[in-house]
Amino acid sequence: MNVKAITAAFRQQGTQFLADPQWIIPSIIAPFMFTVVALYMYSGAGELDSPIVLTAVLGGGVLGMWGNMLFSSGFTITYDRYNGTMEPIMLTPTHLIDVIAGRSVWNVFIGMINAVLVFISAQLIFGVGVSVADPLLFFPMLLMTLFSLASIGLMLAALFVLTRASYVITTILEFPIYVFSGALFPITALPEALRPISYIFAPTWGVDALKTAAISGYNTPMASFGIWFDVLMMFLLIAVYIIASYFLFMRIERNIRESGTLARY
Amino acid sequence: MSGEHEYPVVAEGLRKTFRHTRRSGLPDKLAVDGVSFNVRKGEIFGLLGPNGAGKTTTIKMLSTLLIPDEGSVRILGMDGIKDVKNVRQRINLVSGGERGLYYRLTGRQNLRFFANLYDIAKVGQEALIDKLLDIVGLTEAADIKVEDYSRGMKQRMHIARALVNDPEILYLDEPTIGLDPEIARDVRSLIRKLAGSGKTILLTTHYMFEAEELCDRIMIISKGRSVGYGTVAELKKMVPDTNIIEVVTNDDPHDTVAKLSSEHFIQHVNTERIAGRHCTRIQLKDRTDLLSYLDTVFSKYGIRKIGYDEPTLEDIYISLVGGEGQEDGGHHR
Ligand SMILES: Nc1ncnc2c1ncn2[C@@H]1O[C@H](COP(=O)(O)OP(=O)(O)OP(=O)(O)O)[C@@H](O)[C@H]1O
Ligand SMILES: [Mg+2]
Repeated sequence: MNVKAITAAFRQQGTQFLADPQWIIPSIIAPFMFTVVALYMYSGAGELDSPIVLTAVLGGGVLGMWGNMLFSSGFTITYDRYNGTMEPIMLTPTHLIDVIAGRSVWNVFIGMINAVLVFISAQLIFGVGVSVADPLLFFPMLLMTLFSLASIGLMLAALFVLTRASYVITTILEFPIYVFSGALFPITALPEALRPISYIFAPTWGVDALKTAAISGYNTPMASFGIWFDVLMMFLLIAVYIIASYFLFMRIERNIRESGTLARY
Repeated sequence: MSGEHEYPVVAEGLRKTFRHTRRSGLPDKLAVDGVSFNVRKGEIFGLLGPNGAGKTTTIKMLSTLLIPDEGSVRILGMDGIKDVKNVRQRINLVSGGERGLYYRLTGRQNLRFFANLYDIAKVGQEALIDKLLDIVGLTEAADIKVEDYSRGMKQRMHIARALVNDPEILYLDEPTIGLDPEIARDVRSLIRKLAGSGKTILLTTHYMFEAEELCDRIMIISKGRSVGYGTVAELKKMVPDTNIIEVVTNDDPHDTVAKLSSEHFIQHVNTERIAGRHCTRIQLKDRTDLLSYLDTVFSKYGIRKIGYDEPTLEDIYISLVGGEGQEDGGHHR
């Protein structure tokens, strides 16, 4: 892991982001809208700080961040190709994965800003505070969930290049997380046979950890192992995703060096 | 002799075929077909050839960007195909054209980004960047976004970017393409300065006078193969000077020129208008003495001057490459 390159890519992405206001739409406004819609939909269902509303807010937030992560990952390599910066990056001794990872960390950062925005605006728009049972646990869990999303994003960024069909994949992949992560409805609502899919999906454990930290008395089959089990599972799965990404990126670099270009569209 | 390499770049039997996807239905393209040469330390080496001859492909194989199907590459004594990380630390490449920088970042931010990818220590990084900006004359534009740069400024920024790791070998793929004559001259003098400071330079260009002015040695490739290799003087010996006849006329001789160009004893004819006169350059295939014949043919246009001339690099290029286009049926990258 090349920390210097990751930091440089983070800064490059950040500077570029701030120089181009259009990015605010997919990365800040969209996730925010998700949450507000969720709040409106569920606010009839009970008190604003009741578990069901909180669940909705969390779910909406995670989905919004997922959409952003997916979009950025699909776009990141394409951007360098069209911009002509892929070749100068390839020329350096730095691996492509470190550059893409730095940008993913930027997405995590944006995700955190998002979450803070959502909490402040829930307070302002709906008056009643969306209270979190254990803030000291909640924000670290949020950070970790974002990293789990980012690590999937990293893996997808590589897959996008190898398969050429990034638009199709982006669209298709937007939905599984709705179903399998437990963000919209508890995974206990899924048929037994499909549940293992949820378990190999790191954000599922993140959503579970978030709910455990936010809602007092929350319990699900997953939560019965405790929040630290969620953390452990996230750690393991993030590691698996990153290792998989590493091999995918090695393959990409090899492909580029053999064919002279990335997959052409 | 450790560390010092007489030939920092050694290419042996390079061959590369681009395989198109089955879906595209295009035939595979043999881009480079057994090219060998070496570049001396501190020299400027020119790779010339028509569009599609395989120059860029060759440069990519010498700069770790492309793996050859056959042949070997030695860069500063290292394996240029396998020892990628160490080779990349010590080479760099500038590709002609506008792309290749982050437009929404300033020049300085671009350089900082690439400096970090080369793992240049933070201490001294800003000083290095200032120095590079000064070398390419962009100190004043350092904090302006690249999107507001002119074409010439972008090209100089590309060169600054390529100097960020202080490379011992610098590849320049059409470094003056699209630049106005004055900026192109600045870039050429910069290239000469870099070679003077001990860097080994391999460049491609379509401008023959540029190659003649800059290059110590040249390889001309055509359809992926070498057709001429040596110093400009050595290449000139390949075309005896009695083979070039220059005729300066008052009137435009284009109908005669058109007729001549299809004659079997003519290699190449072209006419240029220079200062109100028409200057026709005729390259003959053999050493046949056609001076008096041409004198008669051109007399109706009012001959100001007629005689044998020294071949220029352009004449040699034309006679070696044969004037035919290399680009096949318009498919591009
Ligand atoms: N990635 C690629 N995939 C398929 N064909 C390619 C690829 N890159 C180059 N080619 C083909 O290989 C041949 C040589 O191309 P190359 O770019 O090396 O030529 P060049 O000498 O640099 O030409 P130019 O003067 O136009 O830059 C051309 O026919 C080109 O179309
Ligand atoms: Mg080229």
